[in-house]
Amino acid sequence: MKRVGEFFAKNRHFIPLMSTALLALTAYGIGAYLFVGMRNPQVFFNLFRNTSWLLISGIGMTLVILTGGIDLSVSGVVALTTVSSAVLLREGMNPWLVIVLMLLMGMSLGAIMGGFIIKLKVQPFIATLAGMWFARGMCFFISDDAVQIDNYIFHILGKTKILIPGLMELSLSQGKSAPYITIPVVVAFLLLLVMIYVTQYTSFGRTVYAIGGNEGRNEQSARLMCLPVDRTKFLVYTFNGFCSALAGLSFCLFVESGHGLYAPGFELDVIASVVMGGTMLTGGSGYVFGTFFGVLVLAVTQALIQFIGSLSSWWTKIVIGALTLIFIGVQTVLANRKSGRQNAESTVGAAAKRRTQLRLALGFGVLLVVVIAGVSISRSRSAASVDTTASAPCVVEFRKADAENLIQGGAVMAYQRVAGPQCVDELYAIYPDGRITGTDGVNTIEKQVTADEVEEMLVAISVEHAWFTNEIYDTYLTPCRQCFAHYILISYNGQEKGATGTDGTTAMPPGYAFALAEIRPLLPEITFAP
Amino acid sequence: MKNNMKPSFTWRTVTESRLFFPLLALSLILLFDFIFIPGFFSIENREGNLHGSLIDIFRNGSTVMLLAIGMTLVIATGGVDLSVGAVMAIAASVAGILMNPSALKNEVFFVTDPTYTFQPLWVVIISALLIAILCGLWNGFLVAYMRIQPMVATLILMISGRGIAQLITNGLRVQITYRPYSFIGQGWIILPFSLYIVAMVLAITWFMTRKTAIGMFIESVGTNFRSSFFSGIDEKKIKLLVYTFCGFCAGIAGLVASSNIKTSDANNIGLTTELDAILAVVIGGTSMSGGRFSLVASMVGALVMQAITQSMYAIGVPAFALQAIKAVVVILVIILFSEQVRGFIRGISTSKKGVKS
Repeated sequence: MKRVGEFFAKNRHFIPLMSTALLALTAYGIGAYLFVGMRNPQVFFNLFRNTSWLLISGIGMTLVILTGGIDLSVSGVVALTTVSSAVLLREGMNPWLVIVLMLLMGMSLGAIMGGFIIKLKVQPFIATLAGMWFARGMCFFISDDAVQIDNYIFHILGKTKILIPGLMELSLSQGKSAPYITIPVVVAFLLLLVMIYVTQYTSFGRTVYAIGGNEGRNEQSARLMCLPVDRTKFLVYTFNGFCSALAGLSFCLFVESGHGLYAPGFELDVIASVVMGGTMLTGGSGYVFGTFFGVLVLAVTQALIQFIGSLSSWWTKIVIGALTLIFIGVQTVLANRKSGRQNAESTVGAAAKRRTQLRLALGFGVLLVVVIAGVSISRSRSAASVDTTASAPCVVEFRKADAENLIQGGAVMAYQRVAGPQCVDELYAIYPDGRITGTDGVNTIEKQVTADEVEEMLVAISVEHAWFTNEIYDTYLTPCRQCFAHYILISYNGQEKGATGTDGTTAMPPGYAFALAEIRPLLPEITFAP
Repeated sequence: MKNNMKPSFTWRTVTESRLFFPLLALSLILLFDFIFIPGFFSIENREGNLHGSLIDIFRNGSTVMLLAIGMTLVIATGGVDLSVGAVMAIAASVAGILMNPSALKNEVFFVTDPTYTFQPLWVVIISALLIAILCGLWNGFLVAYMRIQPMVATLILMISGRGIAQLITNGLRVQITYRPYSFIGQGWIILPFSLYIVAMVLAITWFMTRKTAIGMFIESVGTNFRSSFFSGIDEKKIKLLVYTFCGFCAGIAGLVASSNIKTSDANNIGLTTELDAILAVVIGGTSMSGGRFSLVASMVGALVMQAITQSMYAIGVPAFALQAIKAVVVILVIILFSEQVRGFIRGISTSKKGVKS
C-alpha cells in the first residue's frame, strides 16, 4: 500500500494523463462490449481519421497553454484556410503552392497575434479573440457560399487509404474491408512525435515550461533567468498559427470544400481536449502526449453517442463539458496540494481545509457522473421502451409518385409524414370538398371537414406562407431520432408544387413550418399500426 | 500643486476621464454615419412611438448592454464570464418551454393563438430568471470556492450550456406566440420597452455599487484579493455575488432576445454575445485584470459595439463579414489603450502645461 502511494506521489504529474488514457480505453471497451459495430477495427481507426485536425490543433494549443496563454483564434483560422484554399484552387493555382501559402498565412496570423500579446501587453484572450473575428469575417469577404474543391492532388492527399500492415489480412479473412487511415492522420502523428521531442528534449521546450504557471510569477522568474521569454512566446503563437492552418488543410481535405461557417466552436473542443489531456490551464505543467489522449476521449464520446443513436448530438457537448469540469477539478486539487506544500503552511487547519476541498471536488465529480449516467440510462431506456428498433434509424422514403396520383385523382393536397419516434409513414390526401383520407400503409382513415376550411388553409399556405416561391425549397437532411420528415404537394389555381422538409432547429424553411401548422389541425388522428 | 488640482475641466482631466475614450469612439462612429449614411439621424414619430436608426442602436444594443452590466462587475473582480451567451439560451429555453410545452411531446406543434400560454407570465419570467441565477451561482461557486480560473470555470458552462438548453427544449426551436411576452423585446412606450429594462437594471446596479460599500468591495477584490481578504472583506462571497448577478443579467438578456425573435432558439440565441459584452466592458476602460470599473462607460462601450454593427449594416456589409470589421475595431481599441499611446497623450497634456507655465 505504501509502495502504491509512493508510486503515485512520484508520478503525480502523470495522474491526469493516465486517467484520461484509462477513461478513453474504458469508454471504448464498454462501447465495444455493448455495440457489435464498434468492434470493427475501422471504427477504431476512424476515431483518428475524424479528429486529425483536432489533434494537430491540440498540439499547438498545448504549447500555447503551457506558456500560460490561450488561443481562441483556431476555429477562425481553420475556416479561413478552408475558404481561401478552396477559392485559390478554383482559380487554378498550383495545389502545392496553395498548401505552402496557407501555412504561411496561418503562421503570419499567429505571429501578428503573438506580436500584439508581447509588444502591446494585450491579454492573450482578447488578442486572439480579435484574431478569430478577423479570420472569420475575412472568410465572408472571400466567399459567401461554400466552395467545392475539385482538385486531383487534394483528392489524392485526402482520400488515399493507408492500410494498417498487421490488420489487413486479419480483417480480410473475417470478410471485412481492410482498416485504413489517411495522410492527415499520419501527418498529425508525425507532428505529435516531433513536438514530444521538442518539448521534452530541447531548450526551447524547457523555456516553454519555464514561462507558464504560478499566475505569471514564473514568467518573471524566467525573465530573471535571462531565458528568451518574448522570443519563445512569439514562436509558440506562430507555431500555433501554423498548426491551425495545418488543421484547416486537414479539415479541408476531409470535407473537400471550404466555407466560412466551418468548425464552429472548434476552439472549445481543442481547449477541452488539451485540458482533458492533463495540461494545466494556468500553464507550466502538462504533456503534448496527453493531448493525444484528450482528443481520443472526445472522439470516443462522439462515437459512443453516435452508436447509442437515441441520444442527440448535443449530449456530446454536455458530456465534454462535464468531463472538462472533472479534470479541471482534479487539476485544481492537485495544484492546491502542491502550492500548499511549497508554502509550507501545512498546519492542521490548512490540511483539513484541503481535505475538505478534495472531498468536495471528488464528491462533485462522482455526483455529476452519476447524474449523467442516470439521465442517459433512463433516456436510452425510455427510448428503447417506446421504440423497439432503437438501433436502426427509420427509412425515409418519400412517395412522390403516390402523392402525384392523389393529385391526379382530384385531391388539392397530398401530405406525407415519415419517421419520428415510431417510424411512421402516413400519407394524407385532402380533397376540395373537405374530405380527408389518410393511410399509414395498414389502416386507412377518413375525416370530413368543411370545404371552406380547406379553401382557407390553401389560401393561407399558398398566399400568406408563400408556398409557390423559391422560399419553399427541399431540405435534404436525415431527420433526428424524434423528428419527422414531411412531403407536401399542393395543387392550387393551376399551380403545383411539392417540397420535402425535415423537422429540426434550422432544417426547415420557415414558411414550410407555418404550412405544416395550417395542415396539422385538419388531419385525422391515425392510431399506429402495431 | 493645489492650484493645479483646482480647475475641473482641463485637457488632462478630460483625457484621464473614463468616459473619454468610449465617447470619443462613439462620436467618431456617429460622425462617420452622419457623413456617409443619409437619414441615419432621422427619428420619426409613429403613433406616438419613436422609431429610427438611432433608436434601433439602443433597442438592438439592449441585450449587450444588459450583459455588459453584469460583465463589468465580474471583470472588476478580475474574472471573466464566458458563459453568458449559453445562460441566455438556457433562460430563453426555460421561458419558451413554459409557455409552449408541446416540444416536450416530441411533436412539432405550433400554437398560433397569441393569448395562449401554458404558465402565467410571471411564473415564466421568474423561473427563467431563477434558472439563470442558478447558472450564475454555479459559476461563482466554481470560481470562488473551488478556486478554478474564472475563464476555465465559465468555459465549462459555455461548452455544455447550449447542450443543456437543447435538452430543455428537446432539441427543437420553440415558437413563442404569446403576445404579452413579446412586449418585453418588441414593445414600445415612446421608447423601446427593453430600454426601460436596461435603465432599471443599470439604476439598481449603480445604486448598489456606488451608494453602498459593495462597489468598493468589488474594486478592492479585483485590485488585490489577498489584501482585501486580510482587511476583512469576504472575497469569496463578493465573487459569488458578482457571478450570480452576471447570471441574472444574462437571464434578462435571454428573455429580451427570445421575445424579440419570438422563438427560443437554443442554438443561436446569444451566440458570441459574450465576446461583445466583454469587448463593451474593455472599450469602457475597465481593465481585464480587475480593479476600478465604470458602469456608464461600459454602457457607452456596448453602444459603440452596436453602433458599429448598425452602421455596417446600413452601408451594406454582410452580417458574417461584420466580424472582421469588429476585429479591426478591437485592434484599434487595443492600440488606443496600450501604454505607448497613453504615454503619448499624456505627453501632449504635459507639454501644454509646460507652455502655460
